[in-house]
Amino acid sequence: MKNILKELRATRGWSQGDLADALGVSRQSVNALETGKYDPSLPLAFRIARLFGKRIEEIFDDEA
Amino acid sequence: MSMPKITFKESNRRYLRAFVPVMVFYSVFCFAGPALLEKAGNPPRALVAMVALLSATPLVVVFWLMGRLLRETDEYTRLIQSRAMLAGGGFTLSFAGVWGFLEHFGIAPHLWPFLLIPLFFASYGAAMVIHQLRTGKGESR
Repeated sequence: MKNILKELRATRGWSQGDLADALGVSRQSVNALETGKYDPSLPLAFRIARLFGKRIEEIFDDEA
Repeated sequence: MSMPKITFKESNRRYLRAFVPVMVFYSVFCFAGPALLEKAGNPPRALVAMVALLSATPLVVVFWLMGRLLRETDEYTRLIQSRAMLAGGGFTLSFAGVWGFLEHFGIAPHLWPFLLIPLFFASYGAAMVIHQLRTGKGESR
């Protein structure tokens, strides 16, 4: 699933490690999410969306 | 939805805090146990059994700790670790099955079953390395 996680992270000037700490996950998890190698669970998708003040479908696109 | 009960870093720290002393006990007792039995001369069967069980206990505890880590870590790590453990377990049990039949038919020498534990950890580790090589480490910033 495509997403704009990397772009959102860049707007805050965060490293993958910073985002990982904010979400309570590993840096490898953030990397896997950003590269589309892993699709998050619904609870994690909600945490990501709330962290960036957006809706899940504004971040993740299952039709791209 | 708030943060998970325990973060990835906390779950790792919790694992290591328990893993290190358990492994220290295991390493020490692997030498201390046989030394104790040798010192006892002709030890009673109950003492021998106790030494054997105490030698094995840290291994059982490590598997329990791995299970707790899987429950507590983040979902992606859980997926990767679970796959690697399945690969390691599958390889180890396959090896045990093949070796068992070879041994049964007198082709292979006897293999102590506890030697399968380091084989499991080696194959589990190899599966993790293969995953890292396939996915890459990603950017650090």
